[in-house]
Amino acid sequence: MAVLAEVKKDYGKIKNFVNGEWIDSKTSKFMDVVNPATTDVIAKVPMSTRDETSAAIEAAQEAWWSWRETPPISRGRLMFNLKTIMERDFEDIARIISQEQGKTIDDARGETRRAIENVEVAAGVTSLMMGYNLEDGAAANIDEEVIISPLGVFGAICPFNFPGMVPFWFWPYAVAAGNTYVIKPSEQVPLTTMHMVKLIEEAGFPPGVVNLVNGREDAVNTMLEHPSIKGISFVGSTPVAKYIYKKCGETGKRVQAQGGAKNSLVIMPDAKLDASVKNMLASFYGCAGQRCLAGSNMLAIGDIAEPLLKKWLDESKRIKVGYGLDESSNMGPVISAAAKARVLGYIQKGVDEGAKLLLDGRNIKVPGYEKGYFIGPTVFDGVTPDMTIAKEEIFGPVVSFMRMGTMDEAIEFIHKSPYGNAASIYTQNGKWARDFRYRVQCGNIGINVGIVAAMAYFPFAGAKGSFFGDMHGQGKDAINFFTDRKVVITRWY
Amino acid sequence: MVESEFPECTSFGTVMRFALELERVAVVVNSELAADPRLAAGAETFRSLVENHKKRGNLLENTRREKLNEMVLEPISDIVRENYLMQLDLSKDADLKAAARHAAMIEETSARFYNDSAKIAKHLLSEAARIMERMAKENLVNKAKLEAL
Repeated sequence: MAVLAEVKKDYGKIKNFVNGEWIDSKTSKFMDVVNPATTDVIAKVPMSTRDETSAAIEAAQEAWWSWRETPPISRGRLMFNLKTIMERDFEDIARIISQEQGKTIDDARGETRRAIENVEVAAGVTSLMMGYNLEDGAAANIDEEVIISPLGVFGAICPFNFPGMVPFWFWPYAVAAGNTYVIKPSEQVPLTTMHMVKLIEEAGFPPGVVNLVNGREDAVNTMLEHPSIKGISFVGSTPVAKYIYKKCGETGKRVQAQGGAKNSLVIMPDAKLDASVKNMLASFYGCAGQRCLAGSNMLAIGDIAEPLLKKWLDESKRIKVGYGLDESSNMGPVISAAAKARVLGYIQKGVDEGAKLLLDGRNIKVPGYEKGYFIGPTVFDGVTPDMTIAKEEIFGPVVSFMRMGTMDEAIEFIHKSPYGNAASIYTQNGKWARDFRYRVQCGNIGINVGIVAAMAYFPFAGAKGSFFGDMHGQGKDAINFFTDRKVVITRWY
Repeated sequence: MVESEFPECTSFGTVMRFALELERVAVVVNSELAADPRLAAGAETFRSLVENHKKRGNLLENTRREKLNEMVLEPISDIVRENYLMQLDLSKDADLKAAARHAAMIEETSARFYNDSAKIAKHLLSEAARIMERMAKENLVNKAKLEAL
């Protein structure tokens, strides 16, 4: 099977996009953007300075008032333009995601669709941000109403695992609602965002409405401290999410900070084995386990453990690991050498702490891509709740198989985790499913679904150490995050 | 000679790639047959099949783009590529009956592929499965048209 063509082999030096212009950064610091399957350097990304980041924020501030005065229907029309252009470039977007992030082209196409869906939902801003009123609401002859208004400049600090989707959880809603925006993509995967911003420019958004700044700490800290930024959306690790939450608190900004996860999938004795296993494969191994919704702990309840484990091992061995642009691959590499080393460290830790390594993905060789950051499906049995691999986020294709007696035991284990992103149950029993949904303190609950990824018109939830803030990305939550409510009480004499 | 590249079917993407390749091959073969003056009596039928397979290719492309969802992006293991590979070369002096049989063989193989894929897709992507079932039925209608030549 031929590997799909890359959109470009080399993207050169990445530019920032400020006030409608593509600008070279003046920094002397650049990082390599590496294709994780081939390890080829495919671009150089600038570590933009504080001044450059401030310039982008100020351009957004400058553009804000006239954008705010643009009627919502006109703002929505630009979203329709963008949707059309994204559909035209659908395959290019997916291939860039796969090339720079490593995920399979199927995963990348799914991600591209998610980005487009957010644009589609944001295009309905006229309905989404409509206020409400009540005649004689305050008293006789005194009416009361609520107007929903934009706030100014917002910014997103984005992760490496979903370069096409995560920025779209936020900016389309912010901008459709009349705010302006600064996006800082992950320095590991800046190419998808660069391409998307080119499409945003082509769609006709006025200069300054959407700005792009590449970089790391300097760019992030400038965004967190700049007085013109009204709020920050972040997705990444829990320590950084906490830092961002704290900093935004200090500087009086709104914040929605999505952190890490340690998701458990509970398989009840009556689960449909074949269907459940197939579904869980995508959860544990999709995106090489680098999803905040990825399955990590597999909790087998009662006597399903043995047949489940056998079936799981059989299916795991059949996962084809390879370059994401080879359509026959089921799983690509992890993002970097450092990420690979980290995951391998966890596997060693599992061995050292006494878990049984039934399937070892450490020494996998992918023909033609020998230098790539690949890790094969890895399965541990005999994992106990106190082991590191049962507690910490691994962010790789590693399965911690645990045996438990009851669903209560599983829920107790889930609740001991500091994280609360997602949990799933596989069962045919409605009572068990209902109990699980009712009791489990996680933001995203799956019932016979292993990747509980909310659609664009629902919030991408999260709880405990997996989310810091009040309002989530996507849907009405996003509109609420990016707007304020103004109460007007009117009396005429 | 008709060039073709049918992939191993290990994922939704490769099943769709295989299907797109079937449609592309059908367009190429029927276009060649429609352009052959010795087969003029069947030209209209061949041309109609070219249009039909082009439309189906577009429908599949849209399906691949729009129906894919990572919640059900599961590995696929029950579609064996070799069961649907075809001998695509047709003798240069084939008469209308032989040419129609050749085109019908592609329709019949496609119908089999779509029916088998629909069974797999049913619990993954029921919308995609419905489209595949519809396409398989259409293949059999096309096959009947060719057999009537």
